[in-house]
Amino acid sequence: MYDFIGKTFPRHDGVAKATGLVEFTFDIEIPDMLYGRIFKSPYAFAKVRRIDTSLAESLGAVVLTPDSVPDRLFNPRLVSIEEDTFKDWRVLTYTPRYLGEPIAAVAAPSEDLAQRALEALKVEFEEVYEPILDPFKAMAPGARPIHERIVRGRTWVEVRNNVAAELRYSEGDVELEERRSDVVIERRFHVPRRYHVQLEPKGAVCKPEPDGSITVWTTTQTIHNTKILISQVYGIPMSRVNVKKVPIGGGFGSSIHTNLVTLIAVGLCLKSGRPVKLVLTREEDMVHDHVSFEFYMRIRAGATKDGTITFGEFENILDIGAHQVQAYPLLGTALGWFVSLYRWRAVRYYGRSVYTNKVPSCAIRGYGAPEVTWAVETVVDEMAEELGIDPLEFRLRNYRGRGEIFWGQGPTVKSVIRSDGVPELIARGSELIGWRNRGDPRSKTGRYRRGIGVGRGFHTSGAGGPLSGAIIDYSGAIVKVNEDGTVDYITALQDHGGGTLDAHAKIIAEELKIPPSKVRIVWSDTATTVYDVCTHASRGVYVGGEAARRAAAEVRRKVLEYAARILDAVNPEALRVEYDRELDDAVIYVEGAPDRRVTLSEVARIAWQRNWGSISASVSYRATAAPPSFTVYFVEVEVDTETGIVRPVRVVAGADAGTVINPELAAGQLHGGFAMGWSWAVGDEVSYTEDGVPAHRLSVADYKIPTALDLPKPEEFVVLFASTYEPTGPFGAKGLGEAASNPVIAAVANAIYNAIGIRFYEIPITPERVLEALRERG
Amino acid sequence: MRVRLRVNGSWVEVDVEPHETLLNVLRDRLRIRSVKYGCGIGECGSCTVLLNGRPVTSCLVLAAGLDGTSIETADYLAKTELGTRIVNALLLEGAIQCGYCIPGFLVTIYAALKSGMIRRGDSTEIARAISGNICRCTGYINIVKAVRRVVAELVAIGAD
Amino acid sequence: MLSVNRINTYRIPFTFEYYRPRTLREALEILRSVEGAKVVAGGTDLVVDMKFRRVEPKALVDVSKLEELRYVRLVEDYVEIGSAVTLQELVESEVVRARLPLLWEAVNSMASWQVRNIATIGGNICNASPAADTAPPLLAYGAKLLLTSLDGVREVGIGEFFVGPKRSIIRPDEVLQAIRVPVHPAGYGWSFRKVSRTSFDIAKISVAVLLKVDGGRIRDPRIALGAVAPTPVRARSTERAIESLSLEEALEVGPRFVEGDIAPIDDVRSTAWYRREVAKVLLRDSLRTAYERSLNPGWVHEG
Repeated sequence: MYDFIGKTFPRHDGVAKATGLVEFTFDIEIPDMLYGRIFKSPYAFAKVRRIDTSLAESLGAVVLTPDSVPDRLFNPRLVSIEEDTFKDWRVLTYTPRYLGEPIAAVAAPSEDLAQRALEALKVEFEEVYEPILDPFKAMAPGARPIHERIVRGRTWVEVRNNVAAELRYSEGDVELEERRSDVVIERRFHVPRRYHVQLEPKGAVCKPEPDGSITVWTTTQTIHNTKILISQVYGIPMSRVNVKKVPIGGGFGSSIHTNLVTLIAVGLCLKSGRPVKLVLTREEDMVHDHVSFEFYMRIRAGATKDGTITFGEFENILDIGAHQVQAYPLLGTALGWFVSLYRWRAVRYYGRSVYTNKVPSCAIRGYGAPEVTWAVETVVDEMAEELGIDPLEFRLRNYRGRGEIFWGQGPTVKSVIRSDGVPELIARGSELIGWRNRGDPRSKTGRYRRGIGVGRGFHTSGAGGPLSGAIIDYSGAIVKVNEDGTVDYITALQDHGGGTLDAHAKIIAEELKIPPSKVRIVWSDTATTVYDVCTHASRGVYVGGEAARRAAAEVRRKVLEYAARILDAVNPEALRVEYDRELDDAVIYVEGAPDRRVTLSEVARIAWQRNWGSISASVSYRATAAPPSFTVYFVEVEVDTETGIVRPVRVVAGADAGTVINPELAAGQLHGGFAMGWSWAVGDEVSYTEDGVPAHRLSVADYKIPTALDLPKPEEFVVLFASTYEPTGPFGAKGLGEAASNPVIAAVANAIYNAIGIRFYEIPITPERVLEALRERG
Repeated sequence: MRVRLRVNGSWVEVDVEPHETLLNVLRDRLRIRSVKYGCGIGECGSCTVLLNGRPVTSCLVLAAGLDGTSIETADYLAKTELGTRIVNALLLEGAIQCGYCIPGFLVTIYAALKSGMIRRGDSTEIARAISGNICRCTGYINIVKAVRRVVAELVAIGAD
Repeated sequence: MLSVNRINTYRIPFTFEYYRPRTLREALEILRSVEGAKVVAGGTDLVVDMKFRRVEPKALVDVSKLEELRYVRLVEDYVEIGSAVTLQELVESEVVRARLPLLWEAVNSMASWQVRNIATIGGNICNASPAADTAPPLLAYGAKLLLTSLDGVREVGIGEFFVGPKRSIIRPDEVLQAIRVPVHPAGYGWSFRKVSRTSFDIAKISVAVLLKVDGGRIRDPRIALGAVAPTPVRARSTERAIESLSLEEALEVGPRFVEGDIAPIDDVRSTAWYRREVAKVLLRDSLRTAYERSLNPGWVHEG
């Protein structure tokens, strides 16, 4: 049906990446460049009296202190509208609120000198406070305020009890529904802070230009928001800040906001008047920059005997650390995941984000969905068991599917579900894993016990909707046909590696009927692209891809218009376009008169030679929906009941991503999504000592993620795609990146239950916890 | 200190400081960017290079001790016949995502195929050989498939 | 105050003198004459410690290229291993695989291939980590360490070498020259087991067992454990307790005694409780494996 979509083409940047020739931020070199280092607070909560920079400066370093940067509060993330943006950050601070918070920075002609200058800074502390590390202690009366006043939008607001943000919501009559319920289950869940372990440590290069503007290369999921934030913080007109798109060595949510390292590099560059490179070391990136949110969730839910879910109550406390990134919006999104998973007849929600003296938290792949899905899918499994209903049947009866209202990204972005592959994925997946023979945990004996679990979830494709809402979500694309019929595709949208831009190239190719190899993806910058909010929320293919498709469609109209002139057709409607394999080009012909034909390349050449003008289009596109991409994971595990070690045995990963554009890369999202979810389920955790020092204080040596030997082999991993078509997506496509990991923790936890009959309400489910639980049960 | 290194087939003399690692020298003095810094403590494998034909994490090796040794990096190995096969297989299997770790994988895979560390080409043998390289994107599955593809090709052309 | 600003894992954040002696004697002379000099071989532990500023030596003496330290040889009834032999060279050594299968099994589970290509056996011992995986097998074999200085060579049993976490009896002017390991005693079964967070990671717990079976009875059991005490330890009371027992009896008795032989702690990798419990499990598993192998004397590890 399609010429290119759904077919395998090697990714455009693959050779450059494999050979290591592609330049990441760390690889950028500019003559006469200085190297930066950040002075990080050695205390989790303190007040600086003074900073003596003289020795560092005598070594030849440029020093940046809080006095050398504008004293302006900001939030590094600009995805929410301004009224919903809570600002409590400074570029550098005299009041460090977490261990590692930047107090000063240096830049010097060599990295060694920068390190020496850093160590030569003398920072004198006026007071060192006892850090508050527990959100419940932070909220207790009498706790020292971590922030007294912050800015919401443009208004100062007081912070009370260290509560950074809160959100309440209710719908229907919870009490009534509870009375109607035959089973009610209440559970508390805990998810620790986790580190992204994106392989590239974050960094930035900033270069002053002769015209007084600056050029910035940095690790980011959004070049435009980075430009805007730099402009806002430093008071530079946006036209004088150009942010270049560079490849990013893994995102996973760690660079949705503009990282402090970027702003500090800009500060050093502005002060020194020289190019500056500032790259975090791994331990800085992991210990002192940011991690993901810690969740304390309480869920109470009910169902009736006939297997109908009645009500859901959800209390959600987020330990956000010392500053807000998504503290407020995540409260709404967590609610959105909850509400959109099942058809609760009544819902009550109370969410609070709480400050602590720990490294700030930001989104990690799934933006709360993996955590909420795990909690809900556990409770749903338990209710099904109590009611004696097969957990798959129970899910099918109660999940939100086609035709229903859905608001994954929170209460301000609602839309109607138009495509839904859940029944198909459950039917095929359960067959492949052998669901019916999974057995009852009580009947399992022996040292090694196997269990099969299911997790069903989804992620939105972007954060669009029919109303504007509280989230900024639109994309841009520029498509231009060169004079030889090749195409330049210019977009600000970042590809984290999932192949998003290759999908766009195929979408453009499909629209124009030219081979994807003729579509060049241009490494662009903010000066030459139109706005794209960010590559996050699994929006790259669905929103960005549709923007590209629309730009290509406009180009196609112009091509047809010119072709009509060339072929002397009455108008473009008389024409048809086809991909010609032999010519490897689009051929435009008059329907019914196939000898009246011209290739796209000829059209481009003629338009140039005859002064008809360029064939190009620039599109800015906002989606009116954020359709859910559903995923259903079936996981089989084996538990060694003597060591508590859990091993993955088999995985069936089912995804409803609508039309699949890059099959092998889409499968790769599921492989990688499982790997990350597995890691969260059994291993990932950042914990802290009483001084606010991360227990994994030093490095990845103490924060292990799975190796190839710890994960399923290709023959143990089956990928299924539902045969769905999303009418609002480009050629029927939806997102995938986060849906790919969202139900994994749930499926793993349910599989462990099926193996040993024990439920875990705290992740990671480490061998230590498994063994302890087994011994406790006896 | 002055050391002579055979880097990617050519001898170079380079001044190094005692505290510089091979990673520092390759990146900062010789400007070889395919050698990536990921953790600096030998845990992630992103900085893997061949030292006298054996894969090592270059972030742990003091450069001052390397006089007279041979170093090969991903960008160079990728141009060899075997390297080209590996790159193609990685591409065809969709094994490359963000791409930060992948030059390190390429070096390890190259060495494993050359040295017989990977012989049979089954998934476990491959996973074992590449387990010193960390990837957060792919779950390693398509990387393992890519290596299996190379092994199959080598068998087909009758290579050892 | 935490030294967060003094750490740098990209570049070692301080300078030092570097010596590359051509002979062992030259190395020993430098160690004697240069204040604060430290021996480095592979550097896989030391370079990390320096990046984190856990140690800040004024000078390093690189012994990794000294031919005098780079050999594996079978001498009568023992195998002598030069301290600068890398872990990967040990894995590839026919002598080690055939004559010291317990050591081979341990080394084959250690670190990534890339790190095994750099790290040396001498470094693993001298770093004196309680979790050093070469230590339990060497303890079980009763290995001797040759510590050399300008004053001569002293031969020390590996059991006397470790005195605490990262602490040993080696003097700053000494180099561990070689390890003398009695060849695997004929007819003995062996097993090395460990659990770790991920494959090839540092052990949470490791157990090495060497034993003989005579008439269905365990004889001369030698048991050593790693990561469960301030140093790698021999489980002497367990050994005594299971001497002359049947396998079934030993599986019952051994775990009860092993608790008294170890003193595990909580750390970032695991908990004291888990280590104690799983040490018993690994002991059982290892006893079983060693027992089976002793009944099957022709069995060797696949190279």
